[in-house]
Amino acid sequence: MKSIEERATPKSSIPASKSAETAGTVTSGGTSRPLPARVLTPPAPAPLPHMEDYHSIIGQAEVNALRFLAHEVKGKTVKMINSTAVGGGVAEMLQRLVPLLSELGVPTHWDVITGGKEFFEVTKAFHNALHGANYNLTKAAQETFLRYNEQNRKRLHFEEDMVVIHDPQPLALVCSHDQSHAKWVWRCHIDLSNPNPQVWEFLRPFIEQYDATIFSSQSFARQLPLPQYLFYPGIDPLSEKNKELPASLIQKICDEFGIDRSRPIVTQVSRFDRLKDPVGVVQAYKLARKSVDFQLVLAGGGASDDPEGAAVLEEVKKEAGNDPDIIILDLPPWCALEINAIQRSSTVIVQKSLKEGFGLTVTEALWKSKPTIAGAVGGIPNQIINKLTGVLVHSVEGCASQIHYLLTHPEFAHTLGANGHEHVKENFLITTGLKRWLLLTRLLAKSK
Amino acid sequence: MSGKSLRKPDKPFYFNTSEHLLRIGREKAATLSELSKALQTCPDDSIFQHTFRTLQEHHFIRQGFSNDFAHWSLSSCNEPVLAEHLASVDVREFTTIGDLRRSIVDIVERFLQNHPGSITHHGHAPFYFCASDIVVLPTPFVADSLHGFLDGLNHVGIHSIHHHFIEARLRLKRMSNDFSHWLEKELGLSAAADSIEGIDIYTNTMEEVRQQIACIVAQVSN
Repeated sequence: MKSIEERATPKSSIPASKSAETAGTVTSGGTSRPLPARVLTPPAPAPLPHMEDYHSIIGQAEVNALRFLAHEVKGKTVKMINSTAVGGGVAEMLQRLVPLLSELGVPTHWDVITGGKEFFEVTKAFHNALHGANYNLTKAAQETFLRYNEQNRKRLHFEEDMVVIHDPQPLALVCSHDQSHAKWVWRCHIDLSNPNPQVWEFLRPFIEQYDATIFSSQSFARQLPLPQYLFYPGIDPLSEKNKELPASLIQKICDEFGIDRSRPIVTQVSRFDRLKDPVGVVQAYKLARKSVDFQLVLAGGGASDDPEGAAVLEEVKKEAGNDPDIIILDLPPWCALEINAIQRSSTVIVQKSLKEGFGLTVTEALWKSKPTIAGAVGGIPNQIINKLTGVLVHSVEGCASQIHYLLTHPEFAHTLGANGHEHVKENFLITTGLKRWLLLTRLLAKSK
Repeated sequence: MSGKSLRKPDKPFYFNTSEHLLRIGREKAATLSELSKALQTCPDDSIFQHTFRTLQEHHFIRQGFSNDFAHWSLSSCNEPVLAEHLASVDVREFTTIGDLRRSIVDIVERFLQNHPGSITHHGHAPFYFCASDIVVLPTPFVADSLHGFLDGLNHVGIHSIHHHFIEARLRLKRMSNDFSHWLEKELGLSAAADSIEGIDIYTNTMEEVRQQIACIVAQVSN
C-alpha cells in the first residue's frame, strides 16, 4: 500500500507536454496563434501545504478551533474511497484533504477501487442517468456494477472508525457495513435532484445502509431515511490556481496573452461547453460594449481533447468575429497559474452557466475579491447572494446590463468583491471543509 | 469608573466558541403557502439555523441581510413587502425559538391573508430547510479582569463573538448577552453592559460589533 504522501502526489497525475499544434491557441481579432512556448510543458507539481501554512490566511482562532476539534477525535481513523487517483475534482480534493487530516492527528487512508472498462462504462452511464439522462438499466449493467463492487469489497479492508465512499461507483462496498465497526458515510458529489428512476431505485437500497450522507448543495439531495449533511466544496487558497501572485507575474502573463491591463477586463473561465454559455457571454459583451469600453477574455480548455469542446470553441470564435477586444484562450489543463493571473487581472468575472454543479470557478473569483456575475443555477446561489456577494443573472440581457453597471459603479463592485472574499473565507475554503470532516468524525464517534 | 476601582470578579469569563455542522432537513417549500406550513412543523433547530445561525454565516455583510426567510421571499418569490416584514424581525428580541417561530409564522400568515394571490405563487427555487449540529468549544482565553476580558475580546474568532453576543440570549433566556451579563454581574458595570447590549447587529459586521464592544470596555478601563 502506498503512503499517503505518494498517493497525494501521484506521478501519473503529471500530464504529458503537448506540441504547439495540439496544446491550444490564443484567438483575437479573428486570428489564432499558438500559445506561448512556456505553457506547452506542464510545470512540476508544487509541494502540498501544511496546516501552519494556512495560519496567515484563516487566522489563529480558526487554527485553534481546528486543532481542538482534531484533539477531540485524535486517534480515530478514516478511510476515503473513490474511483480514481487522478483527474477530476474529487481526486484533487482528496489529494489535499487526506494529508491535512493525517497531519491533524486523524490518520486518513485513501483507497481507489479498481475496475475494467466495462465497469467504468456502466458507472459513467449511471453518472449521466443520475443527472437525469435517459437510460435503460439492463440486468447486465446491474451485474457488472455489483461484480466489480464485490471484487473490491473482498480486496479492501475496512478497519477504520469512519469509511467514506465518494460518489456512486463504490457505493455497494457498504455491504461490508455489518462486518466492520466503522460508521459509513456516502459523500455524493453529484446532483441527485432529478435522477433516472431506474438507476435511483437500483442504488437506493445501498444508500440506505449508510449511517449518513453528504451533499454539496441542498438542492442536490433527496429524501432519505438517514442524516444528510451539507458540505460545500471548497478551494485551496494555497493552490497554484488561488495563491497570491506577484504583480510582475500577472503583468507578464497578461502581456503573453495580449491582454491590455490599462483597460477594463471582463473574464469568463470555463471549459468550452454549451452549458457554460460562452456564446451568450460574447453576446452580452456586444450589448454592453455599446455603452462601455472593455475587453472580454474567455479562458478555458477542453477544445483540443474533446470534439464537442472544439465545436463550441468554433461557435465562440464565429460569434466573436474579428473583434480585437475579444480574447479567446484555449489552454491546456495545467495552466492553473495562468488562470489565476487572468482572474486577478480582471475587473469583473462572469460565469454565465446554464447548468452547473457547485461552480468552483465562481468560488475562485470571489476569493480574489472580484465582482462576479453568474447564472442562478446549481450551487451558484449558495455562493452569490444577489447584490451582496455578487450578482445573479438569468439572461444575456441581464448579464450585459450587470457588466455595464459594475464597470460604471466601481464602489459597489468593490463592496461585492470584498463581501465575496469574506463569504469564501467563511464557507468555501478547504480549511472549512476540514473542520466539517472533524465535526462529522466527532459526531459519528459519539453516536451509537 | 476607573479600572483600578473595579472589584475582582468571582467568576472568570470563559471565552468559548461554537462550530456547526449543517444538516439538510426534511421540509421544503416551493410556495409561500408551503413555507407557512413548514415553518409551523419544522424542528426548532431549523428556525435557529435560518435566523440566528445565518447571521453568523454572513457576519461580514453590513446591511441588507437579516434572515433566510426574508432573503428567499425577495430573491426567489419576488415579494418585497413580505421580505421587508420578515427582515424587520430582530432575533435579539427573542429569548426562545418558540416565540421567534410564532412571530415569523404570524408575519407570513398575515401577508397571505392580505395577498391571497401570492399563496400558490412558485418561487424561482424552493426553500430548503436546514439545521445544524452544534459543538461548543473552549478557546485559550479566560478573563479574570477587565484587562483580560479586553485581551480575549480582541483575540477570539468572530464565531466566539457571535456565540456570546447573539446566541447567548437563548441560553440566558433573557434580553442580554454573555458579555453584558458578566460585566454587570461580576464587575458591576451596568452602564457599559447596557451600551454593549444596544449595539446594532444588522448594520454592523460582526467585526465592527467586536470593535464597538472593545471600545466601550476600553473606555471603562481607562
